Amino acid sequence: MAQSIGEQSMGLMKGNEAIAEAAIRAGCRAYFGYPITPQNEIPEYMAKHLPKVGGVFLQAESELAAINMVYGAGGAGVHVMTSSSSPGISLKQEGLSYIACAEVPCVVVNMMRSGPGLGGILPAQGDYFQATKGGGHGDYHLLVLAPSTIQEAVDLTYEAFDLARRYRNPVMILGDGLLGQMMESVTLPQPKAPLPKPPWATTGCGDGEPRVINSLYIQGDVMEERTKRIFAKYAKMKQNEIRFENYKTDGAKIILAAYGSTARIAKTAVDKARTRGIKVGLFRPISLYPFPYDELSEVATEAKAVLTVEMSMGQMVEDVRLAVEGRCPVRFYGRSGGIVPTPQEILQQIQAIWSHIA
Amino acid sequence: MALPDLAKKPQRFTGGHRACAGCGFPITIKIILQAAENPVVVGCSTGCMEVTSTIYPYTAWECSFIHSAFENVAATISGVETAYRSLKKQGKIQEEITFIAFGGDGGTYDIGLQALSGAMERGHKMVYICYDNQGYMNTGIQRSSATPRGANTTTSPAGTHIPGKQQYPKDLTAIMAAHNIPYVAQSSMSHWNDLYRKAKKAFSADGPAFLNVLSTCRLGWATAPEDTVDVAEGAVQCKLWPLFEVEEGVWKLSFKPRQPLPVADWMKQQGRFKHLFRPENAELLTDIQREVDERWEKLLKRCGIENGGDKQG
Repeated sequence: MAQSIGEQSMGLMKGNEAIAEAAIRAGCRAYFGYPITPQNEIPEYMAKHLPKVGGVFLQAESELAAINMVYGAGGAGVHVMTSSSSPGISLKQEGLSYIACAEVPCVVVNMMRSGPGLGGILPAQGDYFQATKGGGHGDYHLLVLAPSTIQEAVDLTYEAFDLARRYRNPVMILGDGLLGQMMESVTLPQPKAPLPKPPWATTGCGDGEPRVINSLYIQGDVMEERTKRIFAKYAKMKQNEIRFENYKTDGAKIILAAYGSTARIAKTAVDKARTRGIKVGLFRPISLYPFPYDELSEVATEAKAVLTVEMSMGQMVEDVRLAVEGRCPVRFYGRSGGIVPTPQEILQQIQAIWSHIA
Repeated sequence: MALPDLAKKPQRFTGGHRACAGCGFPITIKIILQAAENPVVVGCSTGCMEVTSTIYPYTAWECSFIHSAFENVAATISGVETAYRSLKKQGKIQEEITFIAFGGDGGTYDIGLQALSGAMERGHKMVYICYDNQGYMNTGIQRSSATPRGANTTTSPAGTHIPGKQQYPKDLTAIMAAHNIPYVAQSSMSHWNDLYRKAKKAFSADGPAFLNVLSTCRLGWATAPEDTVDVAEGAVQCKLWPLFEVEEGVWKLSFKPRQPLPVADWMKQQGRFKHLFRPENAELLTDIQREVDERWEKLLKRCGIENGGDKQG
């Protein structure tokens, strides 16, 4: 059962519960979800704690229903959220495409598990393509943020509601079962009141102009106008929302590229390699869309090799290759099926590369 | 069928699966599968039944088995049954085969209802069996539209704001009867003879058939493992889970408790209802009893039993 740390600002929390608490503190007042492992603590926490701040928790009859409830509540200008894990996120894709086209702000948490198919409930990072390249049909993107610690998950979730509102676009927090299930000490932000209802919210226009939230544009030129408008926002995101971390990349000859849970394991591997005199650093994208292409390109300029590590068969590595533009070899090391790589495994990869370039 | 004869029939669902001690569904499946005379193809929606019985490379199923996703076991078996009919038409297969779809209440009442309705309407010759344990137990005891009103679940937590689940459950069996398919029945794992007889009828129906079977979840209901069968029986004895069948549109009551228990007596056996016995929830308990009585009277009318309260079935 979900444990609250109540009014306290610090405590030991499970990733899923910390995310739920951060969302409530960010002003989330409506949550629509459906059970799926390994993210059940999010709806359970919401069921218990959202009503206490006058919010609404609702368990839908399916993920399809939940995402369309998000569409409805988001259209009414409420800070709204849903969460799921890989197979459930697949079921939400149609709704997300509609929501992105209709420019309805919302926050979606994906605690990835192994796949494809029903897969397993162990952590994985196989939804990178789905999250960053559209996922559903048509021309659109989610703003995708990938925390690697529970504290970062709290901070990004807290900010996600504002970002969703600012860009009128869905924001995805992309974590995995490891992040969702582990416990860490967190400092929670102060609760804030939800932002006032935006002028476009379909809550009645009174004597003003009718307010329309729509994703149906039959005429080609009108639809093209719409997609251009959406893509103008993505251009702004690329200017303002690129997030990343450089860890010991100064003078590094090998650059590891990893995000989320894998990045924290890669960090340990970097530290171990450094004690052996290997010049290696970690580049950690935090915003996966927009992807920090230029920033990675910059640290890779002096490098002899880049090693991408993922809990997948190789997805982000494609963006890493685009960033590196062939200036040095881009290697890949991945585990899938829910297997979490150990620092030792990554260290062996680093040592093998080092033996060639040193 | 006498119990000793039933015990001699080969098991299509074997031991060694990883269901909890005291879980209801293995009992349910065993009885149902023993009623099938032909070879069977089993489809299973996501849930405890599928997860605990098919952890690769092991399986508890001594028959063909297919799993796809949570919401579409009825669609998957529709496809398999259609392929079978095609092969039969082509003369590539002669054998009579029985197609069975199993789903829990989450996969049947909620996310799988659309696929189930479609399969029944199209008339695929399959038997769909819902093992109803009144909640999403595989993912950690969340409420479903089959969860009884007042039950404490992780997404209908009993506390200061709400006394557990706020809605009465959906009457799925009646919804399936409204599909006008040859055979629809409601049974309970506690009444093995009733369940066996109904499974037999379902398998011999000329078209789609649907069974809704109450199956205890000792974790979700917070009961002792050894009480699994008794608790399921209690639901029948208190009229919350009536046993009935709808054969070619004719409703028939299968069992009438001689002295129905108050619903509260059944609820007292289970940890998920313990908050209902606090003084502030007395009114809710009364309302739950009223709802059960009303549904029971409605059922009796449908079954053509007048003055239901006085007669024995």
